[in-house]
Amino acid sequence: MRRAPGGGPGTPDTSWGGSAEAEHERPDLSVVVPVTENPQPLDEIYEAFRAAFDAHDEVAEFLFVSAPWARGHLAKIRALARAGHPIRIFEVGARAGESDLLLGASGYCRGELIVTLPPYWRIQPAEIMKLVRRVREGAALASAARGQTGDHPLNRLQHWGFHTLLKRLVGTEFQDIASGVRVMRPEVLREVPLYGDAFRFLPLLAAREDFRVEEVVVQQHPRDRRTKVYSPGTYFRRVIDLFGMAFLTRFTHKPLRFFGLVGGALALAGATLLAVVVAQRLAGTPLANRPALVISVLLLVLGLQSVALGLIGEIIVHFSVGEARTYRLAEEVGGLSRGEPPGSESIPEPPPELAEHRTQ
Amino acid sequence: MPLACPSMSRPKLSVIVPVLDEEDNVGPVAEQVRAALRGKWDWELIFVDDGSEDTTRTRVRQLSQADARIRLVALARRYGQSTAMQAGFDSARGEIIVSIDGDLQNDPRDIPRLVAKLDEGYDLVSGYRVQRRDHLITRKVPSWVANRLIRAITGVPIRDNGCSLKAYRRELLERMRLYSDLHRFIPAVAAGIAAAHIAEVQVRHHPRTAGTSKYGLTRVGSVLVDLVTVTMIRRFRMRPLRLFSMAALVPGLSALVLGAGGWIAGALAPHLIETGVSFLTVVVLLLALAAYLLMLGLLAEFVVRARRRGGRPTIPMVAEVSA
Repeated sequence: MRRAPGGGPGTPDTSWGGSAEAEHERPDLSVVVPVTENPQPLDEIYEAFRAAFDAHDEVAEFLFVSAPWARGHLAKIRALARAGHPIRIFEVGARAGESDLLLGASGYCRGELIVTLPPYWRIQPAEIMKLVRRVREGAALASAARGQTGDHPLNRLQHWGFHTLLKRLVGTEFQDIASGVRVMRPEVLREVPLYGDAFRFLPLLAAREDFRVEEVVVQQHPRDRRTKVYSPGTYFRRVIDLFGMAFLTRFTHKPLRFFGLVGGALALAGATLLAVVVAQRLAGTPLANRPALVISVLLLVLGLQSVALGLIGEIIVHFSVGEARTYRLAEEVGGLSRGEPPGSESIPEPPPELAEHRTQ
Repeated sequence: MPLACPSMSRPKLSVIVPVLDEEDNVGPVAEQVRAALRGKWDWELIFVDDGSEDTTRTRVRQLSQADARIRLVALARRYGQSTAMQAGFDSARGEIIVSIDGDLQNDPRDIPRLVAKLDEGYDLVSGYRVQRRDHLITRKVPSWVANRLIRAITGVPIRDNGCSLKAYRRELLERMRLYSDLHRFIPAVAAGIAAAHIAEVQVRHHPRTAGTSKYGLTRVGSVLVDLVTVTMIRRFRMRPLRLFSMAALVPGLSALVLGAGGWIAGALAPHLIETGVSFLTVVVLLLALAAYLLMLGLLAEFVVRARRRGGRPTIPMVAEVSA
C-alpha cells in the first residue's frame, strides 16, 4: 500500500487509528526504533525519517520499544502519538538488550518491510530510500554502510581493524556491519536467531542463514561523526563480540573441533614439557621444586578441561539438533517436500512480557 | 513427454545422490540408475545439490523435466555432505532409501543387491568396496587407518565406513539425524543410537572419470575429532556423568597417590623423597581437575535431563532380532 501524495512532514496522519478498516491496512514500512543507551532527540529522528518516507509516498508506522528506564526519553514521542501520528510505543518488562527489543517489537510489525533505526543519528534520512529500493529489487536485507570520513582517525582505525578481523575470522566482508540502519523482509527476523547483542551482527547472521544481504553505501549524518575516541571498554567488548560470533558461525555444530584443537595443543605442550622435566629428573636434576613441573601439569589440566568443555558442547548440539532442519533449500524440483511449504511459517507471538502502550 | 512415476506418492525406493560440482556426472548417474532399476520397483532419484558453482543444478533440472522420477533438492549454500544427505533423506518418499555418490565411482547395478539384503530383515546395509580404485596415499591409506580405528573404538564391525552406497529402512532414518560430518559414521551412529540391525555387502568401485575429488589428507584431523564425538554420543549420551566420572578418576587417584604417598614417604624417609611447593601444587592441580570434571558431568546430566523434559525423548529404536 502506498499513501496518496499529501500530508507533509509533521502533519498528523488522520487516517491512522481512525476507522477499524484503516487500523488493519498494511503499511509499506514498519520502522522499529529500539531505545537503548544515550538516545538523541527521538522526535527529531522521527520527523526527519517520516519526511523522507512521505517524500516517496511510503506509508510507514513507527514502533518505539524501550526498557522502563528509558521512559523519559519517549515523552515527546508519546505526545506525537497522542496527536495522531503513526506511532506505537512498546515497553519491555525488564532490562533487555537491543536484540530483545527488536524481536519483541517485530511481532507487532504490520509493514511489508521492516526498517530498523538506532535511537541516534547515523545516516542522512533521505538515504534510507536507497535501502528500501534495494530490498524491493530482491535483497532480503539491506544494511547501511556509512562513509565515516569525519570520524576521529583512531575511530576510523578501530573501524578498519574490526572489519578486517571480521573478514579473517568469519570469511565474510562487510564495510559497516554495526550501522544499525537496516531494511529487511519480515522473514529475516523470524528466521535469524537473535539474542543478547547479536543485533549488531544481524547482516552477518542473515547471510549465514542464506538470505541475500547487501550493503548500501550512504551518507553519514553530521551528528554521527565521532571526534572523541572510544573508551577501552568499547574496544574490548567489540573484540569479544567478534570472537563469539566467529565461534558460533564456524563451530555451532562441531564444538569439539574448536575446544579439541585448543585443548589438544595445550595438552601436547604440557605433555612435552613434562616429558622433558621427567627426563631431566632421570639425569639427576631434582624435580619437586621446579616451576616447570607446575607449568607442564597446568597446561595438561587446561588442555583436558578444554576437551571436556568440547564434549559438553557436543552433547548440547546432539540434543538441540533434534528434528530441526539445519539447512535451507534454494530450490526443489520434481516433488513436494514432506515439510512445511516455504513461507508457511506463522509470525511468532510476541513475548508476554512485552506490553504495548496504546496512546489514545 | 516426461515419464510419470506410477505411484508418485510413495515409491518403493528413493535413491539419494549428494552432488557438488558434478555437471559431467549427473547425466550418466541418472542413466545408470535408470538402467539398474528398470522393471524392478517404483523409484525416485533425488539429486541433492550442495551449493554447486557449475551447471549441475541446471542439468538436474533438465533431467527432471524429461523424467518425473528425477528430483532436484538444491541447498542454498554449501553445507557439507552430512547435511546434504540429511536433506535428501528429508525429501525422500520411498520405503527404502539408498544413498550413492555422484561421481560414478559407486555402481548403481549394486543397488538391487543391497535392497535384497535389506529385505532379509536388516535396517541398514552398507556397501563394502572390494577393489577400490582410488589414490593410494591420499585416499586408500587414510581410509584403511580410519576404518580400523572406527571399528576398534565403536565396536561396529563395518569394514568400509566411507562407502556412500548404503541402503536404509525409512524407519531407521526417522530415528536419527545427520549433522556436522557424521556421514562418515552412519553405521556406528545407527547401531549406537537407533539399535539398527546392520549388514555389509560387497560392491563394485570404479575410478573417477570426470570432475574432481573433494577429499584429501586434510580431513584426517577432523575424522579423529569426530570419532571422539561419535564414541561419546554413542556410549554416554544418556549418562554423561559416567563418562566424566571415569575421566575424573585418573587425576583424582593420581593426586591421592602422589599426595598421600609423598606425605607418608616424606615422613618416614625424608632423605629419599623429594617434596616441595611445586610437588604440592601439582597435587592440588590434579585434584582441581578431578573436581572440575565431576562438575562438568553434573552439568551434562542437567542438559540431558532438560532436553528429555522439554522435547521428545530420544528413546532408542528397539530392533526385533528374531522372527
